[in-house]
Amino acid sequence: MTTAQDQTPTTAATGGCPVAHHGYEPFQQNDPFPAYRSLRAEEPVMYDERIGYWVVTRYEDVKAVFGDWETFSSENAQAPVRERGPEAKRIMEEGGFTAYSGLSARVPPEHTRIRGIVQKAFTPRRYKALEPFIRDNVARLLERMLEREDRTGDLVRDLAYDVPTITILTLFGEDIDQIDTFKRWSDSRGAMTWGDLSDEEQIPHAHNLVEYWQKCLGMVEKAHREGGDHLVADLVKAQEAGAEITDHEIASVCYSLLFAGHETTTTLISNTLRMLLSHPGQWRKLQEEPKKIPGAVEEVLRTSPSIVAWRRKALREAEVGGVTIPEGGQLLLVMGSANRDEAVFENGEEFDIDRPNSREHLAFGYGIHYCLGNMLAKLQTRITVEETLRIAPHLRLSDPDAITFGENLSFRAPVAVPVIWES
Amino acid sequence: MPTVTFTDAQGGQRTVEAAAGDSVMETAVRNGVPGIVAECGGSLSCATCHVFVAEDDLETLPPMEEMEDEMLYGTSEDRRDNSRLSCQLKLAEGADLHVTTPETQV
Repeated sequence: MTTAQDQTPTTAATGGCPVAHHGYEPFQQNDPFPAYRSLRAEEPVMYDERIGYWVVTRYEDVKAVFGDWETFSSENAQAPVRERGPEAKRIMEEGGFTAYSGLSARVPPEHTRIRGIVQKAFTPRRYKALEPFIRDNVARLLERMLEREDRTGDLVRDLAYDVPTITILTLFGEDIDQIDTFKRWSDSRGAMTWGDLSDEEQIPHAHNLVEYWQKCLGMVEKAHREGGDHLVADLVKAQEAGAEITDHEIASVCYSLLFAGHETTTTLISNTLRMLLSHPGQWRKLQEEPKKIPGAVEEVLRTSPSIVAWRRKALREAEVGGVTIPEGGQLLLVMGSANRDEAVFENGEEFDIDRPNSREHLAFGYGIHYCLGNMLAKLQTRITVEETLRIAPHLRLSDPDAITFGENLSFRAPVAVPVIWES
Repeated sequence: MPTVTFTDAQGGQRTVEAAAGDSVMETAVRNGVPGIVAECGGSLSCATCHVFVAEDDLETLPPMEEMEDEMLYGTSEDRRDNSRLSCQLKLAEGADLHVTTPETQV
């Protein structure tokens, strides 16, 4: 599944391309890699009229655009890819939905101001203290799965779904019996922003987003009233001590982090075990040399990032990879492709936990918007691998080729990762 | 022109010239010094540009701000008293800094 077929670059001389859009299908995530490869070779900056974005697929170009925030604004990063239908709009307006972005789609100086405050509340010192708690959760969930008599499980449902969700709810001072609720809201957020939904399909998600946003507003209000030892209370305390951040901005941060703080980590944990179990030799190597686990996680982030593409908007006419992007032009930076660019990664399609430069991947972006939670995501994934090696090293994927990924422009998440084991 | 001498965990040394106003991290990345990863590009989010500063040079550096201190709890190799994040170390004209890179940054 990770190996792309060799494709001979077509000549541009005829001006035609044998496969429309070089095989790229914006919302299809089962195996986008052969198309990425063709795009890098044949048209590394391609305008895709089906979505209205310039699709950028080479490493150097993706990194350069991320790095130049003055030219390429993040303001479109949370805009719905498909315009909201009239009914969804009505539901959201009447429900008082006024959220847009916590951080990722804000721009300096506002972004700099809010990020500085949030960063101080969301540091390694705070979440490293949770390491034993995370480890206990992983062990408990694995042991529960192994009790199943039919000796079959699903690593998404049985493990990856809960682990980061418990962690983020705990960091936000919320009861962990709300996992399903927050997952439902997150699914809606992912679908409404990056999905390809009809007007009709948007309606239930619109209701969910209204509920989710009301919850975020409520959390800020509660923190003002009751205080507490968690992230929202810390932000409220910072505000009361003079930090320049409004209640709406704090609620927006909640709206961001209670989505980003587990959605993509559920995917990373699922992908890590999926990739490692489908390379049994490398899985065994980790058993012998646990020191290699962090490098293995970096290699998963490189070859199978949770977010394969992210958006930017050109504030002025600018050149990317020799192609002129008009002022106002929207770009889709395909990190999933950049991460396999052979100009940076030798045999880029190959999964190799010993690769010396895996960590140069762009899975967490680059520059001023670099993923705030990257260290927490990696910490939880490392712990999950360590505990799986300890408790369930004998897991096997039941049918790796049958694993499918949900349709989405940006998020590439396996629907299920079925496993089996011997008694 | 400021200079920075990087010593790796095995003791290998390399001295590079820098531009005044650049950070030690930027200098390392520009010269391909392998012991500095700098995944986030200097936004104080990854702690992969961790260095140990030579004792004699410590007081010549700008003081550590709260956020750098917080991030140093997230380094791959445990922090020591002379730990800094090299993205926060701006080089003054004429500086001659000596740092050691940790065995691993991730």
